[in-house]
Amino acid sequence: MLSYVTRRIIATIPVVLIVAFFVFSLLYLAPGDPAAIIAGDQATPADVDRIRESLGLDRPFLVRFFDWLWRILQGDLGTSIFTNLPVSHMIQQRIEPTLSLMVLTLFLSLSCAIPMGVIAAWKHGTWVDRAVMMTAVFGFSTPVFVIGYLLAYFFALKLDWLPVQGFTSISHGLFPFLRNLILPAVALGLVYMALIARITRATMLDVLSQDYVRTAKAKGVGQRGILFLHALKNAAVPIVTIVGIGFAALIGGAVVTESVFAIPGLGRLTVDAILRRDYPVIQGVVLLFSCVYVLVNLGVDLLYTLFDPRIRY
Amino acid sequence: MDRRGFLRTAALGAVATAGGLATPNLARAADNKVLRFVPQANLANLDPIWTTQYVVRNGSLLIWDMLYGVNDKLEPQPQMVQSHDVSADYKTWTFTLRPGLKFHDGEPVRSKDVIASINRWMARDATMGLPIKRRLDALEAVDDATFRFRLNQPYPKMLFALGKSSTPCLFIMPERIASTDPFKQITEYVGSGPMRFNKNDWVPGSKAVFERFDGYVPRAEKANWLSGGKRMNFDRVEWHILPDSATASAALQNNEVDWVETPSPDLIPLLRKAAGVNVDIADPLGNIGSLRLNHLHPPFNDVRARRAVQMALSQEDYMRAVVGDDETLWKGVPGYFTPDTPLYTEVGGEPLKGKRDYEGAKKLLKEAGYNGEPIILLVATDVAITKAQGDVTADLLKRIGMNVQYTALDWGTVGQRRAKKEAPAAGGWNIFHTWHAGADCVNPAPYIALDAGGDTAWFGWPKSELVQAKIAEWYGAPDLAAEKKVIEELNKAAMEHVVYVPTGFFKGYQAWRKSVSGVVKAPFPLFWDVTKA
Amino acid sequence: MSATSSSGEYLAAPVLPNVLPTPKERGKIMGFIHRHPTIVIGGTLVAIMVLIAVFAPLLWTKDPTALAPARRTREPSDLYWFGTDMLGRDVYSRVLYGARVSLLVGFSVATLAAIIGTTLGLIAGFTRSVDAIVMRVMDGLMSIPPILLAIALMALTRASVKNVIIAISIAEFPRVCRLVRGVVLSLREQPYVEAAIASGTKVPVIIWKHILPNTLAPLMVQATFICASAMITEATLSFIGAGTPPIIPSWGNIMAEGRALWQVKPYIVFFPAIFLSITVLAVNLLGDGLRDALDPRLAKRL
Repeated sequence: MLSYVTRRIIATIPVVLIVAFFVFSLLYLAPGDPAAIIAGDQATPADVDRIRESLGLDRPFLVRFFDWLWRILQGDLGTSIFTNLPVSHMIQQRIEPTLSLMVLTLFLSLSCAIPMGVIAAWKHGTWVDRAVMMTAVFGFSTPVFVIGYLLAYFFALKLDWLPVQGFTSISHGLFPFLRNLILPAVALGLVYMALIARITRATMLDVLSQDYVRTAKAKGVGQRGILFLHALKNAAVPIVTIVGIGFAALIGGAVVTESVFAIPGLGRLTVDAILRRDYPVIQGVVLLFSCVYVLVNLGVDLLYTLFDPRIRY
Repeated sequence: MDRRGFLRTAALGAVATAGGLATPNLARAADNKVLRFVPQANLANLDPIWTTQYVVRNGSLLIWDMLYGVNDKLEPQPQMVQSHDVSADYKTWTFTLRPGLKFHDGEPVRSKDVIASINRWMARDATMGLPIKRRLDALEAVDDATFRFRLNQPYPKMLFALGKSSTPCLFIMPERIASTDPFKQITEYVGSGPMRFNKNDWVPGSKAVFERFDGYVPRAEKANWLSGGKRMNFDRVEWHILPDSATASAALQNNEVDWVETPSPDLIPLLRKAAGVNVDIADPLGNIGSLRLNHLHPPFNDVRARRAVQMALSQEDYMRAVVGDDETLWKGVPGYFTPDTPLYTEVGGEPLKGKRDYEGAKKLLKEAGYNGEPIILLVATDVAITKAQGDVTADLLKRIGMNVQYTALDWGTVGQRRAKKEAPAAGGWNIFHTWHAGADCVNPAPYIALDAGGDTAWFGWPKSELVQAKIAEWYGAPDLAAEKKVIEELNKAAMEHVVYVPTGFFKGYQAWRKSVSGVVKAPFPLFWDVTKA
Repeated sequence: MSATSSSGEYLAAPVLPNVLPTPKERGKIMGFIHRHPTIVIGGTLVAIMVLIAVFAPLLWTKDPTALAPARRTREPSDLYWFGTDMLGRDVYSRVLYGARVSLLVGFSVATLAAIIGTTLGLIAGFTRSVDAIVMRVMDGLMSIPPILLAIALMALTRASVKNVIIAISIAEFPRVCRLVRGVVLSLREQPYVEAAIASGTKVPVIIWKHILPNTLAPLMVQATFICASAMITEATLSFIGAGTPPIIPSWGNIMAEGRALWQVKPYIVFFPAIFLSITVLAVNLLGDGLRDALDPRLAKRL
């Protein structure tokens, strides 16, 4: 078990390295010139050249890559070209909103999606099932920002129940925190919920059609409810897998949701940084998101052993 | 930083941290002592010498004080300076600081701080700083409160230069900060202005916080723009960065913010209807939109091609696209100078007036030898004003038979691309758009875009000896009448040469909660004398 | 919907003996509709969208890029069916022409990602030495969230429809590659394939005869879903300002431009949003239907 965990962790290192190389080379090739942006409107070309030099943007590719990697290994993500703040500090400032948004979204969508999926499987073939499935298909056919603006329009502007934008730290109380975060979490969660409801339904049906369940049924074991509880436990592995894979959609959606609701999180930091070609920030954030994604899926892999004792490596 | 300074900072830091823990919600401080402001753009850095972005200048006005400050007539008034003395030949200028000036770290403001600040600023200010630097024999401290310029040529516009509100402004910083290389960013934001910057609460792209500096001694006079007593009624001014104008307006309607600097003109009717919101013109001096042509390459190296665009361009189309249907917000400007200011003139502006002539434009283009070559139009799509102008230009060029290549970029990339002198096909460009604050177009001194010095001119590199001669003549003009005469000739010369094409004059709105009073119309947001109920 | 639900119930209870004999006069088409209602609904909607896109110039549209600042932000009316936008352009015409971009991006990305992914997947599946490297690179690419990767790629190049297609394809193809490689690896162990290899059959022949036919079903399903997600990604990229050039009317661009006015002129965002959602929905339904029809086993796993 322990050696399996170690092996899995070691196996993620090359992946992360590839990501790092890819992210770095991508932005090295980018045509935007941060020096010109920094120099501003009134700058002369000579000013721009001086700034470029002072930022070290004129050094060759590999020198910059290894320099960058070496510093990252020491925990230094570099300094933002625009704010002159350490990237790690900027990321730190923005982790709380993004983390809160993701946790709340996960919580909301899982607590809706799994019952939805189970009920759909239970009422397989009825209008309930079809309603759930239609909701799910709508869920991932509508762009996050459309849902976001619709929700904001009705619940914030028309009904005036909730704030339009912003973020309140949970340290200021649970209620203000939820008030700000509920709309973005619902907007973001819809896709995720759709995904998980579908997989839950599908795996439930799959498990229910398997031989041992049929046998149990034939023997008249227990009630339908207990049967479903068993089935759900067996369906856990695929569901958790999708939770892990769907995490990418969650990260991508957070980028857009944070822009719509003006949440000062990592997603907005990314968009701002990309539009402004703030290389160190883009590199830091994309690397971070990718590492988190890799870690989440590593965690999912390790969870398998908990959910399904039959899996042994 | 010396050892004592270090200890003091460390102690302050500790207090701040402890305070932060004890009262986690600093924002809960009495509501009328906190102003929530939505600035025009993100405050990405805070070095007003290193960058020329207006938003950085606006934040800096709270942190750093200036030797002189302009009033609403754009006249420089003494601010940190108590008195000055100038020799009859305008070559020796001596200034005395007013007593009681203190930096946020408790140190007094001394001549050495001022001199270091002037040196850093002169290196980066092309329109007024560099000319002083070129004339400079010495800039010296007479004593802790007195400093002197010794020039080898007269410079009568010294006070304008020291108090200029166009970027970069001369902000006075402590010597240790001001001795930073002018091409590197400063990392400490200590000034002697009415507010201090709270670096801990700064989340670039989201929030910037200024806190009242109790050691600030305002001048006795009433505040007038950047002059007079800067009296702050807030303990805390919070800047909330909301890049999406729809979100900003909604937040104002919902009382989530107090003051929005640049609400979208299309949302103004909605804000007017909203309970508890005031709406008014932000800056009477407005802005002048610009269609910037590249004078180095065909077809626009030929004045006939430039005139073709000029005669077909409809300022009304541009202005409606930029500011919308509210006709009180814009007007056509057949000239280069800010309307409603003393030097405004329409002399020579005929090509921009009357019915637009597409057929004439086509004919002129033909004469200029234009034959369907692609025209690279750079459009910054992330900035509403440049995007709208770019869309109109694409349509206009199509109408006069030009082959437009609409190149969508972000503002940063436009900034880089426009600096390239290469041929358009080799990574250069033909046209881009921007705008100039009306305050920077009142006369030729801050007007970098009107300069036609060829290689040393602003992007587009127009070259006209006549324009340059008229600008030089203006610097020597003895009185307003003479200035006006020169400016008329300058306007005509620049129109004929088509230095650039103004796309119109437009004003913007600002909007604030009715609970806030004392909001002033100016080219920059002014926080002194503002109160909140 | 009633036709769908009755057929759905019929579909949903396959274990029941078919007590209602199918009337002989019921044609094959009706049978197909009853067995695969989602394919029919999805396919019809997609077909309508394709027709709209192709025949946009004939459907009472105007030049979708012609400006008229003097008649900007007009509400929907007889004259301007979907109103006009902030530059006075006709939203109806823009939305109809916008279908071209969305569909082009969706179909092109699906095709491109399928081709690249299949090629690499086949190579990885058949060549052990390449396999490790290719799959590590795929893992690396897949651990960057697709939208983030596409945004980063768009920051690299000039905005153009071609570049949007390439960027999204790069973000999507690793999933195809992994799918195809998986199929290849499992097929390689099948006795008939092993026998073919042992008897010296050339690899291209094996691929052509045994691998590709078995890959086609899951590949088509996967490609359909990629098509749907590519259309959403394109809209998202344009919405953020890193997508299709703004001068081209795409649904994402129309929404991005209209969002500043969503409080006062919601129709500018509303119409393209409806069209986009319906199209994506149609493609998703088609994908669901195909999956059910082509590979019931896969249907349950996805």
